[in-house]
Amino acid sequence: MPDATPGRRSKPLAQALWSLLAIAITLVFLFPLYWAVSTALRNPADTFTVAGLGIPWIDFRPTLDNFRTELSTPEGLKALRTSIVVSVSAVILALLLGMPAAYALARFRFLRWKNSDITIWFLSQRVLPPVATLLPFYIIFRSFDLLDTPLALILVNATFILPFVVVILRQSFLDLPVELEEAALVDGATHFGAFTKVALPLVAPAAAATGLIIFGFVWNEFLFASSLGITETKTMPAHMAGAVDTRGVQFWFMATRALIAMVPPVLLALFAQRYIVRGLTLGAVKG
Amino acid sequence: MANTRTIAAAALIGLAAASPSLAQDTKHVKWLDDGTVELTMDPEYGGVIKTTREELGALFGPGQKPFEGQEVTVLSLDSGPKGGISGPLYAFRPIWEELSGAKLNIALTPISELYTKTFLDLRNGTGEYDAMIVGAFFYGDLIAGNYILPVDDWYNSGDYPKWSYDAMPASLRNIYTWGGVGYGVLSDADGQVLYYRRDLLTNPEHQAAFKGEYGYDLPVPPTTLQQLRDIAKYFNGKDFDANDPEPDSGAVLHLKVREQGLYHFTTLATSFAMTPGPELTKTTNVYWFDPEDMTPLINSPGHVKALDFLKELAQYGPPAQVSWSLGEAWDYFLRGKAVFNFSYGDVSPLAQDETRSKIKGKVGAAILPASDTYWDMNTKAFVTTQEVRKVGNVTGGSWHGVISSLGDAPEASYSFLSLMAIKPASKWLATYGWDGVDPGYKYQFLEPLGEAKLEDYTNAGWDATDVKEYLQAYYDNFNAPTLLPYLRITGTQEYFDVLDSNLSAAMSGSKTSQQALDDTAAAWEQITDRLGRDKQLAAYQQAIGWKQ
Amino acid sequence: MRWTNRVRWVFLAPAIAWVLVFTLFPLVYSLYASLHNVTNETIVERAVVPMLDATGKPVLKTDGTPRTKTEIKRETVTKWEWVGLRNFGRVFRDPQVAEAVRVTAIFVVVAVSLEMLLGLLLAFLFNRNLPMRSLLRTIMILPIFATPVAAGYLFFTIFYEEGGPLGWTGIPFLSHPGWALASIIIVDVWQWTPFCFLVFLAALQSIPEDAIEAARLDTDSSVAVWLHVVMPFLQPVIIIVLLLRLAEALKVFDVVASLTVGGPGNATQSVSYLAFRTGLRFFDVGYASALAYLLLAVMMVIVTFFFKRMRTVYA
Repeated sequence: MPDATPGRRSKPLAQALWSLLAIAITLVFLFPLYWAVSTALRNPADTFTVAGLGIPWIDFRPTLDNFRTELSTPEGLKALRTSIVVSVSAVILALLLGMPAAYALARFRFLRWKNSDITIWFLSQRVLPPVATLLPFYIIFRSFDLLDTPLALILVNATFILPFVVVILRQSFLDLPVELEEAALVDGATHFGAFTKVALPLVAPAAAATGLIIFGFVWNEFLFASSLGITETKTMPAHMAGAVDTRGVQFWFMATRALIAMVPPVLLALFAQRYIVRGLTLGAVKG
Repeated sequence: MANTRTIAAAALIGLAAASPSLAQDTKHVKWLDDGTVELTMDPEYGGVIKTTREELGALFGPGQKPFEGQEVTVLSLDSGPKGGISGPLYAFRPIWEELSGAKLNIALTPISELYTKTFLDLRNGTGEYDAMIVGAFFYGDLIAGNYILPVDDWYNSGDYPKWSYDAMPASLRNIYTWGGVGYGVLSDADGQVLYYRRDLLTNPEHQAAFKGEYGYDLPVPPTTLQQLRDIAKYFNGKDFDANDPEPDSGAVLHLKVREQGLYHFTTLATSFAMTPGPELTKTTNVYWFDPEDMTPLINSPGHVKALDFLKELAQYGPPAQVSWSLGEAWDYFLRGKAVFNFSYGDVSPLAQDETRSKIKGKVGAAILPASDTYWDMNTKAFVTTQEVRKVGNVTGGSWHGVISSLGDAPEASYSFLSLMAIKPASKWLATYGWDGVDPGYKYQFLEPLGEAKLEDYTNAGWDATDVKEYLQAYYDNFNAPTLLPYLRITGTQEYFDVLDSNLSAAMSGSKTSQQALDDTAAAWEQITDRLGRDKQLAAYQQAIGWKQ
Repeated sequence: MRWTNRVRWVFLAPAIAWVLVFTLFPLVYSLYASLHNVTNETIVERAVVPMLDATGKPVLKTDGTPRTKTEIKRETVTKWEWVGLRNFGRVFRDPQVAEAVRVTAIFVVVAVSLEMLLGLLLAFLFNRNLPMRSLLRTIMILPIFATPVAAGYLFFTIFYEEGGPLGWTGIPFLSHPGWALASIIIVDVWQWTPFCFLVFLAALQSIPEDAIEAARLDTDSSVAVWLHVVMPFLQPVIIIVLLLRLAEALKVFDVVASLTVGGPGNATQSVSYLAFRTGLRFFDVGYASALAYLLLAVMMVIVTFFFKRMRTVYA
């Protein structure tokens, strides 16, 4: 890996200082998550007493009660279930639609419009303010009796994450040597066969990583979840929003709910971080 | 020799006859022989409501499941299963489900979204909810859209649990009905009163010091807003709570935008802006709009002076309160860090809960004092008077249930709402703080004004002096000779929305009082024009009882 | 891309069709709505009828009288009244809109600049062979996936002025209009700097060593090496990241809704939040659509501006 300041050998002291800086900055970014965990584990009564310090080794009496309470309510569990269903389904749907499109843009030449233009068109869908489509979606789903169903959220979310699938996986397909597919074609396979039997398996890790990234985005989606979901269909973020209480400063529940909402995508990111980084570059970094 | 089986059977029958309850008893409902019924809540709520079969109405009875197979969905603001307004729904759900045979779904939404969710459902004809817990200020839009059903027929039929509009003071009854027809089922009674730290105001050292600084005896409680301000100023910055070394505040307010911050202003400004008089005329006893041409009055000199006053009062409180909603502000007061708070009826009940409150036994309450200076719309000048009015208010939502005209199970819904409204239930709810139901009804006030006894409250854990002052304050408030008129016309939410934003801008320093209220008035004119000036004027005139 | 077989459309069409249906159609609907005044009216008819059981016999109450039930016939009628550009006129004249635009503009400029700058600096920092780099980098991924609305509530507790962990600073994070906007920016920077950082780092690490060594042989100036070797690798990445961050930041909603609800006053009300509130709350479909289109127009300008550059990236 090349050094940022090419050629220069860093003195051990400078190196140590840089390391310290990196660690310090990382800790700053970690702090809110640490705070969430520490508040969620804290007894409600302690919220204000140690609040100023927030250092657990002094006066640390962790309790899992808050988590127990939150996860034991039927609404909390339902929200968890709904989030999982919506996220997984939207990801699958987006992959089903997006992978063939990515393959097409990587392998085939389009004549009417340039491939790059089509790719940019997909990416530019991200520019659309959700608020512009919120009311029409609300009305359309209502006429089809789909309001407050997971299906509505799946459809909407699949639309939002489709651009990522196309753009990221296009790059992954481009990275594959085309000779393998050409060999399959010579052997008599159709393009579809080459796609499914040769290209797809090779791209599987990248597809999985992309799936994890967009899973996170769907899981975290809030605007549509809270507007289209009313009683039956509440995802974790929408469920979280109801935690604001008029009966007191229930910070411990805020932190607990926030954590529970955040944990799945964050954990997934942890597991697949190596692959995720490639995906996040969205095809702008080659090789 | 009698057959063993016969003896056994006889013994069983004997046992059954001897026990006071019937075989149709269910987990939460016990039908007693003498015609009384015991409704028991789940242990985390702990309430046992003693009622009679007569009170439950003709449809509910042992073994009866009049609404079997039906499903009722109620929308409420979200304070959780043990929080205000939404809590009682959970507490009564198992009881009602057993009585009715039907199923209850509770849909919750944050309070700032309640109006949105309600009207999104209604305006689109979706009809997901059979009943909604609404604020009384929704009525203009609800009635105009034909969205709710009158309840008089059911109320009078005797089939449903019995409660009475007569228990309400006139000011509350007004906002539960429209044009004399009943729409709302008895529940919360909102109004803002003043809460103060009795122990601090009666402390001789503070009294002496105050007199030294301000030149008059410290009134307990203050009788004018100006006195309140002086006392708040005196106490602000001193450390009078033993719990932490931080300085404490004179007054604490819940000013958060899009929560209930604007009500502080509307309540306070009444005595500044409303010109007193024996009748309702173009210039006396009007507050929101000119009754002849719908010109907004919100930026009158009286209102502006009130906002300046509120800004000053906020200086004697924690600066963070600009972003505090009810929970945070109350918590601050309950932890003992402020001398004054004027707010809804939840504060004193919550103060009795020693897990949250450090001020049990120290909380006084009184009707919010009026200003000694008001704007006279006739002479167009400020008048300072020694004869300060008693001004009451029903500010707030007075959150209660209404029946949607788009729902599928109106009767079943009404049976649920009315179950929570029967006298013993309503009394029980008013004695505790967590449920958000505040007292306002005759049977909740102490004798001789009402029908309740002091023991009812002290047995529930109240401090005697606290509760006496609390109930007296609310009685005075709801029965005051002058009341802040309650705005319920179409578009109320829009008017309030823009007032709320501008008030918050003023309180956080972005705008001056004059500018904030002028901007509000300009926006109000636009709203009026867009909704139809004549229509709005007619609605407003009807709402305030304007006679030509 | 080398094949031109017609089957290419079979691969591409589903995705394109999907986007058209789910994006274009609502947009057209929105545009249509923004030119109208849309009102709904509910007509309700009530009738009290005797209640019959399954066999058709009237149900009786315990006292023998027949039970009745209320039958409700209801109809919701939607009226579309053409108003032309009146909604757009309202949007342009509304002081709340002007304020929301100002708030959004400040937010976007400050947040995105900070994120990209910090991300770039961090990328250079981490590009050195630091110990524990892997671990640190792993930790830095986490904020990106933290649910924004949850992060908003989390920071609400962090910024809590009376007794929160930052209370000792005395900074009015949530009660002062300027600071409230800063708080929103801080949350966004916390969440998205790691994204910029990771992407820039990947770009830096993709620079082949030989290129650098070759450049080193040619010149002693670090600056020259940067300009001629490093920047070409960074440029496409910077463009994509900038475009994406701009697009996302202009839509900011979740953090506003959870941390400040647009307050105090309207000091943190973004255009998205305003449109959401007015549109959903008062169901003023025409006005909300016009407002959303205003935002969309700004976005389109930005995309067009970047278009040419992006072509080179994806060529």
